[in-house]
Amino acid sequence: MPFENIPSVQVPLTVEQAEIMEQRQVKKHQVAVVLVHWFNALVWLLELTTGAALLVNPAYRVAPQWYLTMMQDVFGTSANLLRFHIAVGLTWIAVFLAYAIFGWRHYLHAEVLRKEVGLDNDDFEWLRIRTLLLVGRTKKHLPPQGAYNAGQKMYALLVYTMIPVIMITGLIMTFHLLATAVVAWAMVLHFFAVGMVVSGLMIHVYMGAVFPEERPAFYSMITGQVNELYAYHHHFKWWRDVRLQQQAWERQWAEEEAGNVHGDGATVHSRPVIGAYTLPNEEN
Amino acid sequence: MARYAMVIDQERCVGCQSCTVACKSEWDVPIGGARTRVRPAGVRGIYPNFTSTFLVSQCNHCDKPTCVQACPTGATYQDANGIVRINKQLCIGCGSCVSACPYGARYINGDKGVADKCDFCAARVERGLEPACVNTCPAKAKIFGSLEDSNSAVFNLVYHGGAQRIETSDVNIGPNVYYLAKPEQMELAAAAFPPIPPQTIAAGRVWSGLVKKVVFLAVGATFLGQAVAFFRQLNVGEKQFED
Amino acid sequence: MGNEISRRKFLQVGTGIAGAAAAATGAHAAVHPPGWRGDQRVEQIATNCEMCFWRCGVMAEVADGKVVKLQGNPHHPLTKGKLCARGNAGVALLYDPDRLKYPQIRTGDRGEGKFKRVSWDEALDFLASRLKELKQKYGPESVALFPHGVHSGFFATLMRAYGTPNSAEPAFAQCRGPRDIGYQLTFGRPVNSPEPVDLEESKCMVLIGSHIGENVFTSQVTAFADGLAKGAKLIVVDPRMSTAASKAHFWLPIKPGTDTALLLAWMNVLVGEKLYDKEFLDQYAMGFKELEAHVQGFTPEWAEPITEIPAARIRETAHAMADARPAVAIHPGRHVTWYGNDTQRARAMAILTALLGAYGRKGGIFLPSKLKQGRIPLPPMPESERGRADREPGLYPLASEEAYGLTQGLIETTLSGNPYPIKSWIVYGQNIFESIPVRQKTLEAIKKIEFMAVVDVLPTEQTRYADLVLPEATYLERYDPPAIVTTHKRPFVAIRQPAIEPLYESKPGWWIAKKAAEKLGLSDYFPWTDPDDHLRRLIAPLNVNEQELKALGAVSFEGKPYIEDRSEDDGPLFPTQSGKIELVSTVLRDFQIDALPKYEAVEQPPAGFVRLIYGRAPVHSFSRSENNAWLDDLMPENPVWLSTEAARRFGVSDGQKVILENQDGVKSPVITVKVTLAMRSDVAYTVHGFGPQSPGLRKAYQHGFSDTALMTRIAIDPLMGATGMRVNFVRVLAAEKA
Repeated sequence: MPFENIPSVQVPLTVEQAEIMEQRQVKKHQVAVVLVHWFNALVWLLELTTGAALLVNPAYRVAPQWYLTMMQDVFGTSANLLRFHIAVGLTWIAVFLAYAIFGWRHYLHAEVLRKEVGLDNDDFEWLRIRTLLLVGRTKKHLPPQGAYNAGQKMYALLVYTMIPVIMITGLIMTFHLLATAVVAWAMVLHFFAVGMVVSGLMIHVYMGAVFPEERPAFYSMITGQVNELYAYHHHFKWWRDVRLQQQAWERQWAEEEAGNVHGDGATVHSRPVIGAYTLPNEEN
Repeated sequence: MARYAMVIDQERCVGCQSCTVACKSEWDVPIGGARTRVRPAGVRGIYPNFTSTFLVSQCNHCDKPTCVQACPTGATYQDANGIVRINKQLCIGCGSCVSACPYGARYINGDKGVADKCDFCAARVERGLEPACVNTCPAKAKIFGSLEDSNSAVFNLVYHGGAQRIETSDVNIGPNVYYLAKPEQMELAAAAFPPIPPQTIAAGRVWSGLVKKVVFLAVGATFLGQAVAFFRQLNVGEKQFED
Repeated sequence: MGNEISRRKFLQVGTGIAGAAAAATGAHAAVHPPGWRGDQRVEQIATNCEMCFWRCGVMAEVADGKVVKLQGNPHHPLTKGKLCARGNAGVALLYDPDRLKYPQIRTGDRGEGKFKRVSWDEALDFLASRLKELKQKYGPESVALFPHGVHSGFFATLMRAYGTPNSAEPAFAQCRGPRDIGYQLTFGRPVNSPEPVDLEESKCMVLIGSHIGENVFTSQVTAFADGLAKGAKLIVVDPRMSTAASKAHFWLPIKPGTDTALLLAWMNVLVGEKLYDKEFLDQYAMGFKELEAHVQGFTPEWAEPITEIPAARIRETAHAMADARPAVAIHPGRHVTWYGNDTQRARAMAILTALLGAYGRKGGIFLPSKLKQGRIPLPPMPESERGRADREPGLYPLASEEAYGLTQGLIETTLSGNPYPIKSWIVYGQNIFESIPVRQKTLEAIKKIEFMAVVDVLPTEQTRYADLVLPEATYLERYDPPAIVTTHKRPFVAIRQPAIEPLYESKPGWWIAKKAAEKLGLSDYFPWTDPDDHLRRLIAPLNVNEQELKALGAVSFEGKPYIEDRSEDDGPLFPTQSGKIELVSTVLRDFQIDALPKYEAVEQPPAGFVRLIYGRAPVHSFSRSENNAWLDDLMPENPVWLSTEAARRFGVSDGQKVILENQDGVKSPVITVKVTLAMRSDVAYTVHGFGPQSPGLRKAYQHGFSDTALMTRIAIDPLMGATGMRVNFVRVLAAEKA
């Protein structure tokens, strides 16, 4: 019931509207996305812990000696450590390839990518204001965001560029592909790309798991759904798109139901029924 | 326990490459690669009085191996007997070790993609056999043994027989392949094939010089940023958006 | 196959073999236990090598039916476990993808290289039918055999039984002939192989042209290195500073063709200053007075302008030899067919050896010991009325024995048809194009041939001109007659047995010859049933334990290498015509040839040319190894060596691409120059055996250049028909200008 007409700008909500919206769930992530996310998280956990243990040489080391010794003891030999790291890595690549090949249209289509990483003016504004907010230098409100806010888009962009680098350099090192110099640079790039993702992960994990405002986002990565209030506040433009689309479906459905064959496109003001989303009329 | 070393008598050596081929055969060294090399060091003198020699070279299993220091994964290591070995399953073939060896003793095996070099035929030595090159040398110019065994020929030649190392003031990492040759021959060999100070490959330099710093900085900064945000969050309390 | 069974049997015996032949070997007799290669268990088969002709002992390590490694055989008395680069590379020959794999019959024009694959049956039927036709049409003598190697005996038997006396291998007239004849005339026996030179006990080694170290015969290198390490003085006479010369106390960069003058001058010093071994000569030699008179005029001062070696140096080296006598090893050389006067030079070397008392003595040339070899009784060989056709009658009086065939003579006869036409060549393991000079004659002669069969392991140029190509298995896949070696201080018998079954459809030589004999109705000449039977008959008189022999690869016996070991029961010390060492050769005198060697000047290079000389490389055995993947990797081509002075004169520099042009205008392909300080300026040197024109040798095809192709002239030794080959001259042209 909250809205008869979907607002085009993010208007303040009444308490009633907010309460209703908080109860409703909107589907944000498909099952495959959820699964891949956690698969990814597991892979990263395993690969980071084993990867760090593989850098033994003091000039290249990122972990302290006690950690290296401990990991070697766990796996028996360094060779086992590497085999494990490679096995997980290859599995990761295989799954992503399957995901890419079979789910191309759903998950990697241009429209989807635009939604996930495409930055518009609102996004840039968001970035500017968010940074200022961080250092307490502004009182402005953040501009409306799409399905993913600019920060999330930046992270996605980082991950989407770095992951192919990590995969390809990983393959080069595993199978000793191309020239020796290429393998050497692969080593550096692998480490650099991982490092960049890890710095992104600092924010991603904090935002996802620690920061209370984004708690619904964390749960969305389990249930696939967010509550509507959260969606309205944090991802207004997406909320709007979803609602508009739903409205359009409902109207079409109603038309078909009523057998209305007016070709003049006259709107039928009937109240939608099931699954529907009914709003008290607003006096506006 | 042993400290394996080799003495090569260049006066006996005729440069016949038997050692090269025996080694190639024993260890499936691909065409174009070499674990051991026999190279003419040139001719010096005034007609008809000349000095010339061959130089047989291979991994020296140095006291302070620069290749071990260079390897990012620890695939190259020195065992308890002083033999510098490569764990092929841990090697990615980045070539750091190849550039780090002053004696050019290492190469990347084109077939397998990993580093390779003489390992004093460790697998043979473990079974009580001589290294393949020592075994085959018709001139009996290669002598192998432990510097900790006072009865061994190697011990005697190194400590009492005048066997020499090829080192310079820049490169003195304690090679354990020694040579017997006339002084002018040693000079010729050292001049023809001088040990080169170890090089760090470009990728390695970029790693330790730049990338490592950048990554640590980025991760550190984001971590700190989030830590700060976390503490602020604790202070400020949860934001209720119901209001 | 019989071989297979006996090999399995002896492995099962384990350590059960007691020291039955311990007395013979002086070492514990044992079945050779399996070995290890890393973590892999390997069977070890004892055999001997054929990468060159020294036949070093080899242990073939076999796992899963593949030869994985070749090692020296530690039980082999000659080489004691050492193995050279080529020996180690035998694996690459065995698995060379370019090997001849199946019998082929020519379909295109001769030389085109077009063949069709046929079965062995068809191939041997073809061979038999053609041989029968030729016998009918032209007589059996019209077929000439060109064999090579001691194991060519099967084919020698076959062709003699067929009825032809015409057989010649390059070992005599293109290689060792002059020295064997020269030493035989002097001491009563040829030098033989392996050369009985006691280098390891020598106090002074003298190498005339011999380049030990680049010329690698494993045990010879060991002995050389040992002798030097013990403090022997080394004198090397060579226009180029070879590896051996680089170790010499005295390197004499002699003017090519003047070695005899140097030898005579040395004799002059030894005789004139009474530095010879008087006691020895009094007891064993004849003709000293004549020799003394003969060498009087050949002073070092006389020799200096001829040899371009300072007289003082000649004296110095003569004194060095005298100081060391009788332990002076003057190496007789091996390939000595240089200038057409080589027998007399060999005579001079033999005489010098005798003057120093260094024959039959420790540190000099030692005596061959006797070993009884079994004989396989055969029906009488057919007599040929027409006789041999490899020389004009009356020529080469010293090449009388049948073993001394003249390859170039057979080629001449094929070309000329005199005294009768030779219409067919059967070639076993010879690459005539590379081994016999004056290639243009070979090519012309081939045009007259109606049938050529070639048996080989690799597709050499020879195979391209064949009508029938028969693939032989490599030495690692076949049985060959045992080596019964007497010119070693411990004489021995060593076997060759297969390490694995022949690959592809290749067959061992014995099988090919025996089957061919069957088709020709000559089975009676191959009365043995299989290799084991053949082996047993040959080694029967030696009383060795066959299982031990097969396990260890060789069994040795006590030898009597020095005169002091001998008694009258051992036969005459010097089986010459006179029964003594003939400083003056009675045989030559009988033939009215110079009974004492003289110096004869050889033709000098024309202005602007240098003499082309050649030698060996330690990683190759001429064309035998040029296609070997590992050896080709180490030395893919043969540069031409020039001194810095010669390079300057020709206007070329180190590493530059050039072409050689010889005195007859024949040009080499584009090759590389190697410039060195340590060489005379009147010679160009290269390693023999490169530049094959057979595309079937994919790795070696047109790598480097063939020195044989530039040998358009030869100088024939009138005594025994050897073809001197160092009589060609070249000039060097920069590749662009040529």
